[in-house]
Amino acid sequence: MTSRERALGWLAGLGLTAGLVMAFGVAPREATQGNVQRIMYLHVPAILVAYLAFGVVLVASVIYLWGRAAGADRLAHASAEVGVVFTGINIATGAIWGKPTWGTWWTWDARLTSVSIMFVIYLGYLLLRAMIEDRERAARFAAVLGIVAALDIPLVHFSVYWWRTLHQPPTLLRPGSPPMDPTFVLALMVNLAAFMLLYGYFTAKRVRLLRQEEEVFA
Amino acid sequence: MPDNWSFVLAAYGLAALVLGGYWRRLLRLERELVALERRRGATRDEPRSAPTSPGPPIPRR
Repeated sequence: MTSRERALGWLAGLGLTAGLVMAFGVAPREATQGNVQRIMYLHVPAILVAYLAFGVVLVASVIYLWGRAAGADRLAHASAEVGVVFTGINIATGAIWGKPTWGTWWTWDARLTSVSIMFVIYLGYLLLRAMIEDRERAARFAAVLGIVAALDIPLVHFSVYWWRTLHQPPTLLRPGSPPMDPTFVLALMVNLAAFMLLYGYFTAKRVRLLRQEEEVFA
Repeated sequence: MPDNWSFVLAAYGLAALVLGGYWRRLLRLERELVALERRRGATRDEPRSAPTSPGPPIPRR
């Protein structure tokens, strides 16, 4: 493990601890939903980090197709994997939050459906990589898919504006200030920072392991 | 509205399981790669048998 990875790991651990303190100790009980609203501090950062991860896949894929840089391909691969993990957490926590507030675990709402499609697309991206034995071909095909798949990110984000949905509009990435008390926003931002650090730690580690794998199996 | 603490616990517990599971997967992969590298290194460092004489030339017909 490199010193940068170790530092990121410790920072992520500290960030997650601070996030839990903010979510359960500092942020007050929400007036309408009660304590179940505390799922938001997990649910919202998870999707924002997934957007970041898939955005990195897009940029790294373009760089790979431009100059065939193996490092960019490894970054795209690692970032897609970590993005899928965070999207999975977002979908699962959303379902758990939906049951007590909406009365259902799942509904074919535009936001829920588009997030699920994004999850399946990036799962397909990882499957495609695993299925093709020739590394160069796998990297090329995956880079094309990584660029096309990114079209779904704005679809997910703006789905709540473009269609009538059960899901509420975005909490953070929206014009104007967030529609919440500053304490809620602070708790959300601390958790977002912690998740971003965790994303950095997982991705750095996965990139190094992919490089090691290539060296061992070369 | 009731607090539904069980749902909060389920959400945080599930997230901890998924993130912990992925972390453990990376650690396992790292251990396997280190072990594989060591095995390969040991195979490379094994002493090779001394080269043998090619023997007498085979007469051409």
